[in-house]
Amino acid sequence: MKLVSRVLLLLCVCGLLTASDIRISGANKAEYWVFVDRRLDSLNYKEHLTEKLKLQGNYKEITLKGVFFFWDPSIAVPGSLQYFDFTAQYKKDPVSILYGTYYTTFGRGLCLNQFLDEDFNNDNALFGLKADFKFFNSRLTLLTGKPRNIFFEELTYSIKNDTTDQIRGANFETKLPISKKRVNIVTSFAGRYVRVNRVSDMTPQAFTELFGGNIGLTIGPWENYFEYGRQWGTQPVVGGRLKGEGFLFTTGLAIPGLGISCQYIDYKDIGFGGPGYRYNEPPTPIKSGVSVNRGIDEIGYGTTIIASPFDFISLELSNNKISTHDASMDIFEELIKLDDDMDGVLEQIAKITTHPSFDMEITVGIERVIKQGIELPIQEKIETKPYIDLTYDFGSFFIDVGYEHTFVSSDTSDYYDHAVSFSLGKPEMFVLSVRYERRSRKPPDWLIPKLGEDTSWPMVELSLDLTRRHNLRLRVGAEKGGLVCSGGVCRFEEPFRGVKLVLTSMF
Amino acid sequence: MRKFAFILLIPLIFAFADEGEIIDAPDFTLEDVDGNTVCLDSLLVDGPVFMSFWALWCKMCIKELDALKPYYAEFDSMGINLLAISGDKARSVPQVKPFAQSHKWKYVIVMDPDDILRDLYNVQAMPSSFIINQDKQIVFTHMGYKPGDEEILIETMRELFVEGNDETGE
Repeated sequence: MKLVSRVLLLLCVCGLLTASDIRISGANKAEYWVFVDRRLDSLNYKEHLTEKLKLQGNYKEITLKGVFFFWDPSIAVPGSLQYFDFTAQYKKDPVSILYGTYYTTFGRGLCLNQFLDEDFNNDNALFGLKADFKFFNSRLTLLTGKPRNIFFEELTYSIKNDTTDQIRGANFETKLPISKKRVNIVTSFAGRYVRVNRVSDMTPQAFTELFGGNIGLTIGPWENYFEYGRQWGTQPVVGGRLKGEGFLFTTGLAIPGLGISCQYIDYKDIGFGGPGYRYNEPPTPIKSGVSVNRGIDEIGYGTTIIASPFDFISLELSNNKISTHDASMDIFEELIKLDDDMDGVLEQIAKITTHPSFDMEITVGIERVIKQGIELPIQEKIETKPYIDLTYDFGSFFIDVGYEHTFVSSDTSDYYDHAVSFSLGKPEMFVLSVRYERRSRKPPDWLIPKLGEDTSWPMVELSLDLTRRHNLRLRVGAEKGGLVCSGGVCRFEEPFRGVKLVLTSMF
Repeated sequence: MRKFAFILLIPLIFAFADEGEIIDAPDFTLEDVDGNTVCLDSLLVDGPVFMSFWALWCKMCIKELDALKPYYAEFDSMGINLLAISGDKARSVPQVKPFAQSHKWKYVIVMDPDDILRDLYNVQAMPSSFIINQDKQIVFTHMGYKPGDEEILIETMRELFVEGNDETGE
């Protein structure tokens, strides 16, 4: 296998080097932070530099990509992190063969979900070989690779799954158009198999299998999708069978001016990985990205209705819930209720966006989130946030004014956070933003080591378009920090006080 | 050493990037939210392509796509194909089509959950938009969105694609 891969890579490199009509392009993001390290007793400034350079060369059907990353903190532990990823791909329909670092998701992610979330600094990659074959209305994917999850939390980049695990997988999808005359009717089917081998584990048959499939039915604007996944695994070290399953169902209606989407999920030991990482990442219905335990024991639903009855107004209503199962309830109660015994999240959103005139946009909304057992050691936290935002475009410049007030009820204590923001910007030139956030009281003593003592967070940011392909952002001030989530993955973001300089380029 | 590397990097990037440079647009074939195959070559047969990278979580992306709604008739008259590439991951796929329809967008919505197109066009920030002429060249690139940017975009399109104006676009 290694020999084949090396030959493929060599052929790609030779092809690119000898070609005259090569297209080379890339992107770069450089960040430099100087900040107060509040973990030290005395005032002490720390810094870190992050650099990510992407380069790619294309020649006919061959693409060669390289990503150079380094993170260089002044904090001695854990020290710097750097890597160079590459990908060589041959793609000519109906075949695509790739060697190197890649990302892929089977279905909605119940069996395999290796993705890159650059905005959340979550890099869930595979390194190996992947092949795609397309024929008729079908697609077959075969892959093998070693997983690597680089994750940024508590001001540190780290590799979460530093293991010898190997992933092999196959996915087959097909579509059957039934009618395209009056109403478009399409059905789709897919089946998949993933095997994770633990090379270092001495347990006999130390592997895990994830398999499943999905069916879909689309009738005009109405779309339905059902996915099922099952896990058969081996307990690490001790041996013995691990079993789990999960499914999700989504249905949605999309007609001009109205969009409705509903989701139902039920997971029992389908999430597979180790502490802090998963090879599959079952979706959460919560819009703010929170999950309870990432596919171990979860049941929930999500409903969103967005309507624009007139061009000048848009309404959004959303009600989403996820929680652990409760054997004492029937399935309907489990789905709807969030009892004190359950860990879970209930999220409710109502938002109106209106354009009283062509130049003005006003958004008014309220968000209510109940979290139980999510932000431990806090057992229950209820946040209610009404907010308003106004943007006015004067033509040569624009202003944006916002205010939000968050009422927080956290176990036995109540407090509120409020924030006011103002932005002034000129098209294709700059945006200058000022934000001031304040909390009505200090955190309790037992939370100070985690949240700090601050009760106000002023911040100024200048975003400068150096050219249409280069943006420089300078942020000076303080950020509150707290729990942030994306796609079911959460991290605690440390409070920040300092300067951030970010240069983003594409070329 | 760190600062030195950082300082060195900035001029290097600028040396690479010539804003006026016209570069070839990489070809792609993906599926739209209705399951139809979308291929750059076949779109360009009908006319130039305006392509915007967006995501459900990106407020400024949605503002940009909304801000272009009053210009649909003008896009039609210029024969421009509108393409909105959703960078939402597989988990958010079911919400994309209802969202786009509720906003009455007339873009062809293409899903790019594995960032294939985002990588191909080196998109580093959302939103990012491109105009591709019928010679398959990227004639306009723009990163980010601020209210008023749409005016500059429309003006560029008029310069490029309205007869009697500069003909470098076609």
